[in-house]
Amino acid sequence: MTSSLTRSVVLALLLLFLVGPFIVIIAASFSGGDTLAFPPQGFSLQWVVKVFMVQSFRSSFALSMFLAVFATFAALVLGIPASYALARYRIPFGETVRTVVSSPIIVPGIIVGLALLRYLVVPFRIDVILALFLAHTALVLPYAVRVVSASLDNLRSDIEEAAVLLGSSRLGAFFRVVMPNIRGGILAAFILGFVTSFNQVPVSLFLSGPGVQTLPIDMLGYMERTYDPSVAALSSLLAFMSIGIVFLAERFIGFSRYV
Amino acid sequence: MSDPAYLSLEQLTLAYGDTVAVDRLDLSIAQGELIALLGPSGCGKTTTMRAIAGLLSPSSGRIRLDGRDITRVGANKRAVGLVFQSYALFPHLTVFENVAFGLRLKGLRGQDLESRVRSGLESVGLSSFSGRKPAELSGGQQQRVALARSMVMEPKVLLLDEPLSNLDARLRLEMRTELQRVQKETGVTMIFVTHDQGEALALADRIVVMLNGGVEQIGTPEEIYNRPGSRFVADFVGFENIFRLDDGKLITEAGPIAIEGTPPDGATGLAWRPAMVELDRGPFEGSVRGVSFAGGTREYLLDTPLGPIKAEADASLPVHDLGARLRFALPVERAAPLVRFG
Amino acid sequence: MFQNRAEGLALALPAAIFAAIVFVLPVIILLSGGLHVGGHWSGEAYIRFFGGSLNRLVLWRTLELGVLVTLVAAVVGYASAFAIVGLSASAKGRMIGLVVLPLMISPVARTYAWFVILGRTGMVNKALILVGLTDRPVRFLFTETAVFIGLLQLFLPLMVISLVSALENMPRDVVPAARVLGANWLQIFFKVVLPLTREGLVIGGTLVFTGAVTAYITPAILGGSKVLTLVTLLYQRVTIANDLVSASVIALLLIVMSFGANLLLKRLATARNRT
Repeated sequence: MTSSLTRSVVLALLLLFLVGPFIVIIAASFSGGDTLAFPPQGFSLQWVVKVFMVQSFRSSFALSMFLAVFATFAALVLGIPASYALARYRIPFGETVRTVVSSPIIVPGIIVGLALLRYLVVPFRIDVILALFLAHTALVLPYAVRVVSASLDNLRSDIEEAAVLLGSSRLGAFFRVVMPNIRGGILAAFILGFVTSFNQVPVSLFLSGPGVQTLPIDMLGYMERTYDPSVAALSSLLAFMSIGIVFLAERFIGFSRYV
Repeated sequence: MSDPAYLSLEQLTLAYGDTVAVDRLDLSIAQGELIALLGPSGCGKTTTMRAIAGLLSPSSGRIRLDGRDITRVGANKRAVGLVFQSYALFPHLTVFENVAFGLRLKGLRGQDLESRVRSGLESVGLSSFSGRKPAELSGGQQQRVALARSMVMEPKVLLLDEPLSNLDARLRLEMRTELQRVQKETGVTMIFVTHDQGEALALADRIVVMLNGGVEQIGTPEEIYNRPGSRFVADFVGFENIFRLDDGKLITEAGPIAIEGTPPDGATGLAWRPAMVELDRGPFEGSVRGVSFAGGTREYLLDTPLGPIKAEADASLPVHDLGARLRFALPVERAAPLVRFG
Repeated sequence: MFQNRAEGLALALPAAIFAAIVFVLPVIILLSGGLHVGGHWSGEAYIRFFGGSLNRLVLWRTLELGVLVTLVAAVVGYASAFAIVGLSASAKGRMIGLVVLPLMISPVARTYAWFVILGRTGMVNKALILVGLTDRPVRFLFTETAVFIGLLQLFLPLMVISLVSALENMPRDVVPAARVLGANWLQIFFKVVLPLTREGLVIGGTLVFTGAVTAYITPAILGGSKVLTLVTLLYQRVTIANDLVSASVIALLLIVMSFGANLLLKRLATARNRT
């Protein structure tokens, strides 16, 4: 429908708009000057180095990593059995269960964070880190259920019956023939959950306490205080981390099939 | 045949909510028999098979196997094998590991396991495929892996769900022979479910025709083919001309019509295959509405006062044109007497 | 399907109970806060909220941004999707990968890039001065334009992906068939392509609109307190004034907008199809 010239122009503009900004921050990360500017003044690694020197970045990075790994893990521990039940059992109020479990994706994150803070964390005096962990788990749960459910729907259920008839218990059949066949989906769900949690801002906004901040929140605060390229350097590093994860995931499990 | 009740179903009933899939079914099967459960979809044959396997639990009734009540025994402890219609091979395991799956669960290891799996694969002619994944096999090969996977477990009963329906015509004949050979060599009791009367007639020692969750008729292929007990079975095995019988008269579209000869006692209906209708002579007359050539024979569809009649004539005889008027007879002595006309 | 209901429930319940306690209940309590003021149920909080001119302005701006971003994303999305669908299989895969990739990168990093580009000493201003269009830096940051650009870049990939898969699922040869029957490109688009891809458009549109009106990071960085949207207003009301009643009102508005967008888009798509 489009001639090849217009097609190339359209795609070039699209990429310029979507990917171009990353090239700008990557270039700005290696700036020699003290303030943000593009094109950068000179070349240096000082801002990249500074990222690793800032104490708050180190601790907020550690917190974000911790949350992303454990919240995703918890969401999968809750989400895999739930997906399995929704896919294989005729359960009463199945659709309601699915809606409840998927609802954190529908409601804006800032509302989730505020509601959780006011009506769970404050009244029950829940520790900040635990609160963040609970919130991130709830946030990742819908992704886990969605991706794992899709994998289960693509897997015939009669192989479980075959395993049972060959002497396996129902639970044994799950681990022997279901898990190995939805491994890709679980891994994809883990990566998607990890990235979602790691990059999450609105949910964490209200829940972060003094000294306990996730990395993106910390970055937002730093940007307001300081106008130097270290946030650009950090952004570049995060972009490379995401690209690396997605590249590996695509390479080994064909990640984009699951998203 | 040895013990007539190696496997018996007693008043077996399976219901989901308001629908009764299997209704007070009684069935006895001897050891080493090859049984076909035959019927249209929804007749309860698959439900019955899954109940025997233990994949569905009955609402009431009992299942006994080899002298033991297995009604409440788990599917994994019944020693019943099942070859699924879709084969249900484990996609992540090789052919060897698929066949070894059940044996490993039994605790077999090393040399024992190896030799059992090898001989299982050998018996279905797939020794050279042991390292492949199921996705790399053809449908027919997958089915033979599924058969080997069940047979190495030495099941007391082997169930097969529509074993020939996913195969093309040439493979179907091959698989039919294969199943009969396996059954003869191992002596395993085999029950297969099918909706295809041709398959049932060709393969089974006995056929159980099912309808609406119950047994309609049980018999050898010859009995089912030649002496269907009910209008449903007659229709299912290819009788085209079926009439209710009342007071010695055929009930037709034009009202009761007397026929020559005396029907057997207790018959509530009579049925003729097209080949049983005699053409060019007899008391009735009809006009040719359709002719079709079927190899050795020619099939005629006649409009008659009795309603439409299908008849067959040798293809070497001269063809009758459309609209030609033909005489025909429905000889009572050749008809299949129907006990039930439901 | 397994028969054992208790077993199924036992598997599903932990997740459902967790989501109910950590998420559903707190959100319902929050939402009821705006409807249940001073011990009785009333719409008073809503009347008061809509009485404030800043509140009305912010609501209007949020809707306007959401609609604009969705519309522009749809137009750009169709153009891009057509271009992508026409590529060879391997080029298509790479292109989709490049379109999806930004979604996996921190939105803070993505928005920050615009901060660098649109700043007083950023490349856009440098270019404008160089070309001589202006002699003093133009202020882009903390304008609606900046927020619009940031949001569009953030959510455009969702629209492109939805439309690519919609175009790929279109029955083959309908476009050549319409062409043979004498339709021009405009007719082909409105009479053939649009009706056949409306589901993708509705999905993409809902995702983009919902994302745009509920975004926090982009309006916070690129709009600041000068260009408030409902979400940044909510944050401000809570952190500055501890005003939970307004927060509850805004929360309900946001949820209604998200669901409403979905319903409206479905409506529009089916109505277009009928004519």
